[in-house]
Amino acid sequence: MNSKANKHGLFIHWRFVLVMAVVCLVFTALVSRAAYIQVIAPDMLIEQGDLRSIRTKTGYAERGVITDRLGNELAVSVPVRAVWADPKHVADQHSFENKEAWVALAKVLDTDVDSLQQRVSNPKRRFVYLQRQVSAAVAGYVEKLKIKGVYLKPESRRFYPTGEVSAHLVGFTNIDDNGLEGIERSYDDWLTGEPGKRKVRKDRLGRVVEDLAVIHQAKQAQNIALSIDQRIQAIAYRELKKAVADTQATSGSVVVLDIDTGEVLAMANSPSFNPNNRNEFQSYRYRNRAITDSYEPGSTVKPLSVIAALERDHIGATSMINTNPGWMQIGGRRVRDSRNYGEISLTKVIQKSSNVATSQLALKVGVEGMLDTFYDVGFGNDSGLGLVGESGGQMPQRRRWSDFELATLSFGYGLMVTPLQLAQAYATMGSGGVFRPTSIIKLQQAATGERVFEQNKAQAVLEMMESVIQDGGTGQKAAVPGYRVAGKTGTSRKAVRGGYGDDYVAIFAGVAPVSNPKLAIAVFVNEPKNDRYYGGDVAAPVFSKVMQGGLQYLNVAPDDNNSKVVQLNGGSNGNT
Amino acid sequence: MGNYSQEQKNSLWWRLHLDWPLLLGLVTLIGLGLFVLYSASGESSAMLNRQFVRISLALVVMFVLAQIPPDVYMRWAPLFFFSGLLMLIAVLVVGDVGKGAQRWLDLGVIRFQPSEIMKLAVPLMVARYISQHPLPPSFKHLCVGAAIAIGPTLLIAKQPDLGTSLLVAASGIFALFLAGMSWRLVAAAGGLVAAFIPLLWFFLMRDYQRQRVLTLLNPESDPLGAGYHIIQSKIAIGSGGFTGKGWLQGTQSQLDFLPERHTDFIFAVFAEEFGFIGVVLLMCLYFYIIGRGLFIATQAQTAFGRLLAGCIILTFFVYVFVNIGMVSGLLPVVGVPLPLVSYGGTSIVTLMAGFGILMSVHTHKRLYAQ
Repeated sequence: MNSKANKHGLFIHWRFVLVMAVVCLVFTALVSRAAYIQVIAPDMLIEQGDLRSIRTKTGYAERGVITDRLGNELAVSVPVRAVWADPKHVADQHSFENKEAWVALAKVLDTDVDSLQQRVSNPKRRFVYLQRQVSAAVAGYVEKLKIKGVYLKPESRRFYPTGEVSAHLVGFTNIDDNGLEGIERSYDDWLTGEPGKRKVRKDRLGRVVEDLAVIHQAKQAQNIALSIDQRIQAIAYRELKKAVADTQATSGSVVVLDIDTGEVLAMANSPSFNPNNRNEFQSYRYRNRAITDSYEPGSTVKPLSVIAALERDHIGATSMINTNPGWMQIGGRRVRDSRNYGEISLTKVIQKSSNVATSQLALKVGVEGMLDTFYDVGFGNDSGLGLVGESGGQMPQRRRWSDFELATLSFGYGLMVTPLQLAQAYATMGSGGVFRPTSIIKLQQAATGERVFEQNKAQAVLEMMESVIQDGGTGQKAAVPGYRVAGKTGTSRKAVRGGYGDDYVAIFAGVAPVSNPKLAIAVFVNEPKNDRYYGGDVAAPVFSKVMQGGLQYLNVAPDDNNSKVVQLNGGSNGNT
Repeated sequence: MGNYSQEQKNSLWWRLHLDWPLLLGLVTLIGLGLFVLYSASGESSAMLNRQFVRISLALVVMFVLAQIPPDVYMRWAPLFFFSGLLMLIAVLVVGDVGKGAQRWLDLGVIRFQPSEIMKLAVPLMVARYISQHPLPPSFKHLCVGAAIAIGPTLLIAKQPDLGTSLLVAASGIFALFLAGMSWRLVAAAGGLVAAFIPLLWFFLMRDYQRQRVLTLLNPESDPLGAGYHIIQSKIAIGSGGFTGKGWLQGTQSQLDFLPERHTDFIFAVFAEEFGFIGVVLLMCLYFYIIGRGLFIATQAQTAFGRLLAGCIILTFFVYVFVNIGMVSGLLPVVGVPLPLVSYGGTSIVTLMAGFGILMSVHTHKRLYAQ
C-alpha cells in the first residue's frame, strides 16, 4: 500500500548508501588487517610458523673400526640399545599404576624398583637414562613390557676383540663413544662419523612430514688400519707378560719397529687391562708405558757413543782402547768396569760393555758431539706417532759440563728415553744410518728417512754388536736361531731422590737380521725383583722370542749359515 | 521502476526467477570453497563428497525458494516464525547436547538446529510487521519489531550459541534500521547497547565467553590454552605472506596445528595457502555478492521486499565480518562459519535459502511494474 510512497523515499535511500559505506569500511578494515598480518608483519609470523614445524633431525653415525695392518679387528662397534624414560610421559600416563611391569623392569635391569621409580619421579625432566648399552635380549624384553614413558634408543658399544694384548695402544672410549685413551682418543675425530643433520618439518604430533634440506651431509666414520701386526703384537705381549711375572717386575714394555718403513709393528706393555670390562679402574695399568715412561738407557747407548767417535774420526773401526786398570779417575770421581779388560778392540768394548772405554771416547767427542748423536737418533724429541701422552724423554740441559758428566752420558746416564725412542735409535743404526719417523698408522709407502750416520760406520757398529750375542757377550740369551742378531744389553740403576737406588731397569735393544736388518726391538723390564736383574738375563730372552716370531711371520730369510738345523726349523715353523 | 526492458524480463534467467550476476558470484565462491575445503580437510574426498551433496541440496532449495513470490513469504511469515520459536523452546527442553551446548533437535529422520531457521524467520517476521505499518515506523512499532528479534535471540543465546544469536539479532536490527528508525533512536539504541555491555559481561556471558574476549585482547597471555586458537590462526595467516604457500602447501593448517581448520577457521587455511593476493580476491568476491544483494534491496518495489532483502544480505555481511574478524584476531572467537566456504550443512542450506528469497524478491517485480 505504501510501496509507491516509499519507493523513492530519499532518506531510506541514503540509509542504503550509509549501509554501503559501512560495508566498504568494514571490508577495508578486514583487508587492512590481512595486509598487516600478511604483508607488513609476516616475517615474525612466518618465523613462528616455522618454529612450530621445522626441526633439525640428527641421524646416527657408527664409530669407525680399528684394525691391524692385516685387517684383523682391534676395535669394533656393536649395536646395542639404551633404556630411557621420559618422566613427564610417565607421570602424564600414570605409568606407575602398572606395578608389575615396573618390578619386572627393575629386575631385568638389575636394580630395585624403588630407586628406579625414584629416578623418573620428577615430571619436569624429559630424559633419564635407566640403563645404557643393554643387550638385544634385554632390550627385547623391555620392549615387550610396554611401560608407558619408557623407551629404547639405539646406541653402540665398543668391543675390543684382542682384549688386553693391545689395550694400551688401541685405548678405549667412554659410554658415549668418545675416545678416552690410545688410538681411540688420538684419532677420535677420524673415527667418529659425523651424523647427518636434516631439516624436516614435523606436525603437531612430532611426525616428520617433509624433508626440507640436508643441513649437514653425514660423514661416514673412517676406519683406521694400524701399522701393528697383531701376530707379533700377541707374541710381544705374551712374552713380556711372562717375563714381568717371572721377575716380579713392576712393569715392562716392548716396541717392535719395521726398520724399512718406520712403522710400529708391535707395542706392548705389562701390566695391562681388559678394555671390555673396566669396572676396576687401576690407573697404573692404563699407561702406554712404551711411549709415556722414560728411563735412563744405560749401556744400550754405548753403540751410539762408538758411532759418535767413528763419525768424527777420533778413532777407526779397528782402533784399540786401553782400559787399564779397569777404572779411571775423572775429576773427583771414578768410572769402573766390572773387571779389568786391558787393551781391547771396539768390538770387545761393546761386547763387554766397558764404561771406561766409552768414557774415553766421550771425552774425545765432546759434549756437543755426544748430544748431536743422541738428537740425531730422535732422543729428546717426540717420535711423531701422534699418540696422546707421548713423552719425548729428557735430554740434559746444562751450561757447564764436567768431564764426569760427559763420561756418564756415554754409558747412558743423565738422559732419559722412552722404549719407543730406543727402538727408533736402533732402527736408525739397523738401516745403515737413516733416521725415519715412526708411524702407528699403516703406511702406503715408507716414510722418507734422513741419513744421520755414514752407512759403513753404522754397519761396522752393527757387526760389533753381533758379538754381544755371541760367546763371551752380555746378551747371549737374545740369540735367534738362524738369524744374525745385533743388540746391546743395558742394566741401569733407577734414579731416586738424591742419587741411585737399588732398583734396576733391564733393557735389551737390537736388530736382526744383521745382513739386511728388518726389525728393531727394544725390551724394557722395569724393576725386576729377582737376583737376576741384568738386561742380558731379563730382557734378552723376551727379545729373542719376539724377534724370532716376528722374523718368521714376516718371512724374513735366515742369514745365519752356521746353524743349519735351526734354519730349517725357522723356515717352516710359523706358529710359535 | 520500469527500466527493465521487455527483453530482459523475458530472458531465460528471468523466467527461472534467478539473478545471474548473484548466482555467478555464489557459484564462484562455492567452487573456491570446495578447493579450500579439500586442502583444509587433509585431502579428504569423503568430506568433499558430503559437502558436495549439501551444496547440491542448498542449490535446489535456493532454486525452489526463488520461484515463490514475495507476498507468499509475507503471508506465511508468522507461521514460519512461531513454529521456529516453538522448536527453539523445544530444543531447550529436549534438545541434544553437542560440544557442550544444547542446539540440536532430533526429529528422528534428521537432526537440525532450529536456530538456523530463525536466521530467516526473524527478518521475514520483522519485515512483515514493519512493512504492514506506515513508514517510517513509530516508536511503538519499532519496539514490537525489536521484541520480535530479541525473543529468539535470547532463546538461542541460552543454548548457548553466541554466534547464531548475534546473527539473528543483527538481522532484526538491520530491518528496523532500514525501515527508517530515526537517528535519535539509533543513537539511543547505541547508547543502550553500550550500557548493556557491562550487563552482558557480568550476568549473561558464560565464563568461556568472557575468556574468549580476554584472550582476544591478549592472546599471548595463554598461548597453550585459550589463546591457542587465535595465535595459531594468526600465524597461519601471516605465514602465508604476500603470495601464499600454494594450494595444499600450508604448514600450520596441513600439519594439524590449526584447530577447527575445515570449519570456522577455514579462512586461515585459505590465507596461508593463497596469501594476501588470495585474501583480496576472496574479499572482492564477498564484496561483489553483498553489493549485488544491496542493489537488489534498493531495487525492490515493496517495503517488505526491500527490508527482507536488506536484512538477508546484511546478515550475510555480518557472517563474513564476524568470521574473518575472529580468525584474523580482530574479534573474539564466536562460532560463526565462513559463509559458503566452511564445512557444515545447516549454514550453507540456510544461506542459500536466503539467497533464494533474495532472488525471488528481485525477479517477481514485473507484477508491480506493469
